[in-house]
Amino acid sequence: MTIDRRTLLASGAALGLLTACGSNTGRGGDGSDGEGPKLSQWYHQYGEAGTEQAVKRYADAYGKADVAVQWRPGNYDEQTAAALLTKSGPDVFEVNGPTLDQIQGGQVLDLTDLLDGVRDDFNPAVLAPKTYDGRIWAIPQVVDMQLLYYRKSLLADAGRTPPKSLGELVDTARALTTKKVKGLFLGNDGGAGALGGTPLYAAGLQLVTDDGKVGFDDPAAARALAHLRDLYEDKSLLLGAPSDWSDPSAFVQGLTAMQWSGLWALPAVKKALGDDFGVAAFPAAGPGGKAAVPVGAYGSAVSARSAHKQAAKDFVKWLWVEKTDYQRDFALSYGFHIPARLSLAKKADALTEGPAADAVRHSTESGFAEPLLWTPASRVAYQDALSRIIKSGANPESELRSVVRKVSAELDRVKKKSS
Amino acid sequence: MYDAWVRVGRALRVALLIALALLFLIPFYLLVRNGLASEQDITSPDWTFFPATLHWSNIRELFEDSTVPMARSLYNSALIAVLTTAGTLLLASLAGYGLARIPYRHADRVFYFILATMMVPAAVTFVPSFVLVSSLGWVSTMRGLIVPTLFSAFACFIFRQYFLGFPRELEDAARVDGLGHWRTYWLVVVPNSRPVFAAVGTIVFIGAWNSFLWPLVIGQDRDAWTVQVALASFTTSQVIRLHELFIAAAVSIVPLLVVFLFFQRWIVAGVERSGIDE
Amino acid sequence: MSEGAASEGGRGSSTARGTGTPRPRARRWRRLAGPQNRTLWFWAFVGPFTLGLIVFTYVPLGWSVYLSFFDAHNTVSPTDFVGFDNYTSMLKNDAFTDSLWTFVVFTAFIVPTTFVLSLSLALMVNRMRRAQAFLRSVFFLPAACSYVVAALIWKMSIFNGVRFGLANTVLGWFGADQTAWLSTTDPPWYWLVIVTVRLWLQAGFYMILFLAGLQRISPTLYEAAAVDGARPGWQVLRHITLPQLRTTSVAVVLLLVINAFQAFDEFYNLLSDARGYPPYARPPLVYLYYTALGQGQNLGLGSAGAVLLALIIAVVTIGQARWFGLGKKED
Repeated sequence: MTIDRRTLLASGAALGLLTACGSNTGRGGDGSDGEGPKLSQWYHQYGEAGTEQAVKRYADAYGKADVAVQWRPGNYDEQTAAALLTKSGPDVFEVNGPTLDQIQGGQVLDLTDLLDGVRDDFNPAVLAPKTYDGRIWAIPQVVDMQLLYYRKSLLADAGRTPPKSLGELVDTARALTTKKVKGLFLGNDGGAGALGGTPLYAAGLQLVTDDGKVGFDDPAAARALAHLRDLYEDKSLLLGAPSDWSDPSAFVQGLTAMQWSGLWALPAVKKALGDDFGVAAFPAAGPGGKAAVPVGAYGSAVSARSAHKQAAKDFVKWLWVEKTDYQRDFALSYGFHIPARLSLAKKADALTEGPAADAVRHSTESGFAEPLLWTPASRVAYQDALSRIIKSGANPESELRSVVRKVSAELDRVKKKSS
Repeated sequence: MYDAWVRVGRALRVALLIALALLFLIPFYLLVRNGLASEQDITSPDWTFFPATLHWSNIRELFEDSTVPMARSLYNSALIAVLTTAGTLLLASLAGYGLARIPYRHADRVFYFILATMMVPAAVTFVPSFVLVSSLGWVSTMRGLIVPTLFSAFACFIFRQYFLGFPRELEDAARVDGLGHWRTYWLVVVPNSRPVFAAVGTIVFIGAWNSFLWPLVIGQDRDAWTVQVALASFTTSQVIRLHELFIAAAVSIVPLLVVFLFFQRWIVAGVERSGIDE
Repeated sequence: MSEGAASEGGRGSSTARGTGTPRPRARRWRRLAGPQNRTLWFWAFVGPFTLGLIVFTYVPLGWSVYLSFFDAHNTVSPTDFVGFDNYTSMLKNDAFTDSLWTFVVFTAFIVPTTFVLSLSLALMVNRMRRAQAFLRSVFFLPAACSYVVAALIWKMSIFNGVRFGLANTVLGWFGADQTAWLSTTDPPWYWLVIVTVRLWLQAGFYMILFLAGLQRISPTLYEAAAVDGARPGWQVLRHITLPQLRTTSVAVVLLLVINAFQAFDEFYNLLSDARGYPPYARPPLVYLYYTALGQGQNLGLGSAGAVLLALIIAVVTIGQARWFGLGKKED
């Protein structure tokens, strides 16, 4: 052979290089206590300063396993969904779900027994979407909610009060719009993503009824959504801000007089605007309507492919059921969330006064959570339709008719699977 | 009369070119302007050409920010880009040479077999690739980030086209000296093909440096983040820090611009001779 | 000479296989190795690459095709065979067919625009005597930027919808209202953003291809034309430069179309948000990404769409190659 030894050696060295560098980013190099099995725990990236340090502190304090926290930037849902297909995914992870298909597909473990005796202490509204077949598939970490922020001074200047109906919201937003300041910010897509099912609940409807049927096959739905088109057509909506609705920047920078955002933004708004702001629920739409605010929770779940299932469950129980002081710290010290435990929420001083107290009141009086049966496929179909109604002026009735058809088919599919 | 027209034409051409050049430079200007500004400067309703005070400290703060491993991710990106480029050049040039120069009955079939993968969008195979790589235990390893990306049909295609036009006399001279395929390749063909290696290498390097989706999903540990993933971490959190985002973006392209300016003349020469465009 | 090298190789290989090998096996080996060991050498050069391609492209590809015949929600080892159901429901799905239209519109726009811009840049830069290298660098530099960085500049700074965006600032000087470039569907301003970002990133690269082509044109052709009385300018361009650039042009068009098919990054980085992606300007890859990789993770349906897309790409590419008379055996 004319392949001489030198070249063989050279290519061998190249291969060796590739193999060697395989180990230099090996996992679990956290250097913590090293007791017990190694667990990896995933969080999506929180924007509030200090959150990451806090969850690492919790993990380090756990004695029975060596927990390595992974902080995931970017599209968290896609990343976890892909990682759950493999053994190299997380053992414990927070999830904005889990989805019905993840539960039916056996990708997450049943955590019902972790809540023995304390189940009633968890906020029932956010526990419900984590429950399927009477079993619980994730432990709610904190309650998130979204609501309408408004600048008191700008409303007063325009002689307005916080809107009580959707029609009034449209008028107020128009009145507040000037050349440099827009009336309302519902997200850069005009509200289709951030609002989701909120206008339907405000119209007294539901996404999915308790007996698993489409909950918005009703003329009131089209009427409510048509109002959103009015907002867009009036040019009252802020669109194309550098940061989206989840970030209070646009509101704080004075680009908009009202903004739909999360409770998490409250500390930043308060810091920037002092007392010059208030919060409101999404106003009632139409005669049968009532104010609505979406509530939800990231839950802590355990991957069914974990190599240490029991250790992972023990850790989840320790952190999200037993360690109430950590749960309190996590909910209230970084940004603003309502503790998922009713007993903790009652004791949270920060939530007893000012706009925070109003927010909590809205969440108990008008809160709704997206049902588990509202699958991602249904959400996409609805969101596409909503976007077309708002931005392109598509006919709400015909758009909704086709959504109802798709959602019914999707509900049939998941029902067939469970039987 | 005619000369006057020519002169006007030339002036117009120069003016147009300068205008276009300025237009092409605007994004770079914005990177620097916003990167060295404070948050207030960027969001101010009155446009300022350059912030009154330049915040050079933004750069220091970027590297000191404990939530984003900027230095580590730059190192990872550099390592990945270099190894990917070296590996791709080696594999693709060997294959390209074999396809072009070693007579074999089924060479054409093999070539089309390779070429066909250029038509398959990466997203088509994304999930199975991910599952495959993670079942090899390569998640969060350099192997996982590099090896699956080494087999570029595009690079192989360019090398084959180039070697088809490689002067046979040089190879024949090597044969006279008693060299086999292997040593002819290393001692004669490679040293005479530097421009095409430089051209393909630069294209591969840029692609490796800029790739996003694969490192995002494979580089799960923070220690395995690349610079694009680090960059994404600024945009996807609930609160966007504009100036930090822009300075990070500016820092992320500096290494590439250096590589680029350095290799530029090679690229033009390489393209000219490689028949990329033939 | 090649004879010598080859027989040397032949001897080497048979000794390498051990001297005790019986003759028939040696003969079979010889046959497998091909005349003058060419087969062996061919695979020594091409084998590693092909093997990698099989493992990291063809295996996942085959797996995708397999998945496309199953109801595969959140699993890659499905059991629920559904035949062609995923294909029929994908073809009946408005969102998917709309995405194909989006792609057609995008291609119809981006291919000619990039082609004209990069060709004009090359023609103009080529005729500059001074500052040629500088101008070339300026137009070529953007090719070094990632879509992530470019989309960031476009979305957050140039075409953001608020008063401190560059485009709105400039329009504001003329008294115009602020425009939400990426959120406005009527008129569809978002196309301006998407097309310009790709032009900026790509034009320089194709300009280099054209420049290389221009520099290969022999000066004697121009001299001859001048002798024949052709005016420098349009006549020369039409009758000499463009015909001489034919091969380059064909390659550029092919590359542009393939790249347009693979469009994902700028769309995704410009238009996606935490809650998903708007129903407009949604090319097939983005739609499939959300179908297969989003939380919905319908891998069966997503794979079916991907296979359909790959088939379309194959048909178009091969059709195009035939049209341009490529794919014939070169030598």
